[in-house]
Amino acid sequence: MNQYQEISWQGLWKNNPALVQMLGLCPLLAVTNTAVNALGLGLATLFVLIGSNITVSIVRNWIPNEIRIPVFVMVIASLVTIVQLLMNAYTYELYQTLGIFIPLIVTNCAIIGRAEAFASKNSVQFAAYDGLMMGSGFLVVLLALGAIREVLGNGTLLQGAEQIFGEAASNWHLVLFSPEQNFLLAILPPGAFIIMGLLIALKNKYDKRIEKLVIGEKTKQTIERARVTTESA
Amino acid sequence: MLNIHPISKASFILAAFALVTTGLVALTHLLTEDTIAQAQENAIQQTINQLVPADMYNNAIAQDCIVKQDVNGENIRVFRARFDEHPVAVVLESIAPNGYNGRIDLLVAIDTEQRILGVRTVKHTETPGLGDKIEIKKSNWITYFAGLSVTDDNQKNWAVRNDGGMFDAFTGATITPRAVVGAVKNTLVWAQEQDLFAQGQTCGEKQ
Amino acid sequence: MSFRVASSPHNHVKNKTSRVMMLVALACVPGILTQVWYFGYGSLIQILLAVTTAIAAEALCLQQRNYPVVKRLKDNSALLTGLLLGISLPPLAPWWIAVIGSLFAIVIAKQVYGGLGQNIFNPAMAGYVVLLVSFPLSMTLWLPPLTLVEYDISFVDTLMLIFTGYSETGYSLAQLRVDLDGFTMATPLDTIKTGLSNQQTFSELSQIKVFSEQLGIGWTAVNVAYLCGGLILIFLKVINWRIPVAFLTSLFIFSWVCHVASPDGAATASLHLLSGATMFGAFFILTDPVSASTTPRGKIIFAVLVGLLVFFIRQYGGYPDAIAFAVLLANMCVPLIDYYTKPRVYGHTTR
Repeated sequence: MNQYQEISWQGLWKNNPALVQMLGLCPLLAVTNTAVNALGLGLATLFVLIGSNITVSIVRNWIPNEIRIPVFVMVIASLVTIVQLLMNAYTYELYQTLGIFIPLIVTNCAIIGRAEAFASKNSVQFAAYDGLMMGSGFLVVLLALGAIREVLGNGTLLQGAEQIFGEAASNWHLVLFSPEQNFLLAILPPGAFIIMGLLIALKNKYDKRIEKLVIGEKTKQTIERARVTTESA
Repeated sequence: MLNIHPISKASFILAAFALVTTGLVALTHLLTEDTIAQAQENAIQQTINQLVPADMYNNAIAQDCIVKQDVNGENIRVFRARFDEHPVAVVLESIAPNGYNGRIDLLVAIDTEQRILGVRTVKHTETPGLGDKIEIKKSNWITYFAGLSVTDDNQKNWAVRNDGGMFDAFTGATITPRAVVGAVKNTLVWAQEQDLFAQGQTCGEKQ
Repeated sequence: MSFRVASSPHNHVKNKTSRVMMLVALACVPGILTQVWYFGYGSLIQILLAVTTAIAAEALCLQQRNYPVVKRLKDNSALLTGLLLGISLPPLAPWWIAVIGSLFAIVIAKQVYGGLGQNIFNPAMAGYVVLLVSFPLSMTLWLPPLTLVEYDISFVDTLMLIFTGYSETGYSLAQLRVDLDGFTMATPLDTIKTGLSNQQTFSELSQIKVFSEQLGIGWTAVNVAYLCGGLILIFLKVINWRIPVAFLTSLFIFSWVCHVASPDGAATASLHLLSGATMFGAFFILTDPVSASTTPRGKIIFAVLVGLLVFFIRQYGGYPDAIAFAVLLANMCVPLIDYYTKPRVYGHTTR
C-alpha cells in the first residue's frame, strides 16, 4: 500500500471519523433527517476539512509549537465563517434549514483532530488528500444515515435537492412509497441514534471481511507482478 | 538576523494570523453581502407572492415595511402593498405563542376591506404527521382562511369545530389549529385598529 | 458405587422461566375477555398479530445468533412480549402497527441487548413507545365502549378495519368513533387531558358520556379484571406483591393529594387507579423480572418512582396515558437502585 492508498483506507473505512472515531456526532445526528440536509452539511464539513488541512500543512513550519492550537482554531473558525457566508448567499434555503449546525462545524473535533494529528506533520499534498478522504468518510456516513432516515420516515429520497443543485434538480427526488402515516421515529433524534448504532454494528460485522478483501488484494497483486518478471527474465 | 524574544515572535505570528483570517472573513462578507440581502428579500417576496396577487400592487413591497408591536408585545414586521401609491393590502407577521411545541410564525395578508387574502405558516415546531398539516406543503387547511373576515357577528365562529367554531381540527391534534386560528383572529382584530399605511419605512432600524 | 455430589442449591424451585411466562400469559385472560366484551374483537386480532410477529422475530434472531431455536423459543418469553404489546394496542389500529411494534420490541429492545435476561428496557413497552412516538394518530384512536357506538361492528368488520382501514359496510375508523350524538369519543384520560388544557373543569368533564359516576365505562371493568388476574399471580407466588402494592399506593397518594388540592384541575384518585393501563401495568408490566428492580427494597423504590412518573405524565405531559413512558424511565434507574439496595449478606455486619 502506498501512502495515498493508506490515507484513503484510513479515512473511508479503518478510521472513519463518524463510525470509528465517533467525532462530530452532534451535527451528524441532528441534521440527517433528509439526504439533502446530510449532503449539505457533509459538503460544508468536507470543504472546511480540506481547507484547514492545506492551510495548517503550509504554515506548519513557521508556527512555534506553543501557539499552534490557537492558530488552528483561528484558521478553522474563519474557514467555517466563510463557508457560512457563502451558503447563506448561494444556498439560502438550505442554510435556513441547517441553521445553527453550520457555525457548529467549528466544534467538530474531527477537523482540529486532523489538523493536529496529520496536517501539522505532513506535506501539503498528503494533508489535502487526507482532508478529502476523512471528509468523504464523514460525508458518506452522513449521507447513508440521511438517506435511510428519509426513506423510512417519509418514503422519499433526495427531497429538496433544488436547495443544493438549483432549480434544475427540483424533480430529482424519488417517491418510493407514500405512507398514510410517517414513521416519525426515524425522523426524530432517537431514530438517528438507533440507526447510527445499527450502522456501526454493520460496519463491525463486515470489518474483518472487508479488511481482508482490501489488504489481501494488494498483496496478491505484488505476487503476480513478481511472477511475471521471473517468467520474462 | 534580529534577536527577537520567542514570546514576542509567537505573539507577532499570532497577530499576523488574526489579521489575515479576519481579513479573509471580512472580504467574503463584502463579496457576499449583497447576494445575502437579495436572497433574504427573495425569500420574503416569494411568500408574499403566494398571498397577494402580483397584479394587485406595483410597489417594491418587500422594502415597504414597518416594525410594530403586536398584542403580545412582540416586534412584527408589516409589509405594505400599494397600487400607484394607493394602499391595497398589508402582509403582517403573526405569532401564535401557544402551539403544541412552542410558537408558530405565520404570515397573514389582509386587504383594505379587512378581508384575509391568505395565510401561510413560515416556521413551526409542531409534531410531524399531526400538527404539521398547517404547512401548505402538507395540506391545504391553511387556505381555508382566504376571504374571511372578523365582524361583530361572527366572532364566535373564529374557533376550531371542537370549540364550536367553523374551522376543522386535525384528527389527533386540536391544539395546533386552535393556536393558528386564535393568532389569525387576533391579527385581524389588531390590524383593524391600526393605521398601518401612515408611517414611513422603519424596517432597516430594527437590526 | 459412588454417590453423585450435587452442589447447592439443593432445594429446587419449580418455577421455570417457561412456566412463569405461561402463568402470566394465562392470568391476562380475564382482562383480555373483558376488553373484548367492551371494545370488540379487535384486541384478539392485535394480540394474534403481535404474538405471531414476536415469535417469528425471536426465532430469526436466535437462528442468526446460533442458538438452538426451538429450545429457546420454549421459554415463552417472546410469546409474553407479543401478548403484552397486543393488549396495549388500540383494538382497531392498522395491522402493520402490531407488526412494527413487536419487531422493534424483540429485535432492538431485547435481542440487540443480548436476549432474555439482558435487556435493560421492558421490550413490550419499548415497542409500545416507539409506536406511540412514531404513529401518534393510530395509537391514540381508541374506540369508545361498544355500548356507545352508533354502528354494530361485527367480527368481519373488525378484520377489514384492521387490514384495509374500512369496515365491510364502508365506514372508516374516524366515523365509527362518533357516538350517538355525533360527538367524537376519546378515552377517559384523553378526554380529561384535552378538556383541562382547554380551561374546562373536571366536574364539567365528568358529565361527558364516556364517564359513568365519574369512572370510565368499560375501562373500570377491564381494570378490575386485570386486578383479579394479578391477584392470582401474587397468590401463586409468580410475581412479588411489593411492586404492584407500592405502585398503586404511590399513584393513589399523589393523585388524591392533587385532587384534594385542586378538585377542578385534576382527576380523582379512583379514576387514576381504574382507568387507562393502571392495573394492567401494575401486575403485568412493572413486574417483568428482567427489567424491574430485583432487591426487596429496590422493588418498592422502583414502583414508587413509576407511580410518581405516571401521575406527573398523566397530569402535565403531552400524552394521555403514561405507564409505558414511566416504566421505561424507571427501567433506566434500576441498576442504580439495585446497587444501593443490595441486601445484607447473612453473617456479614452492616456496611
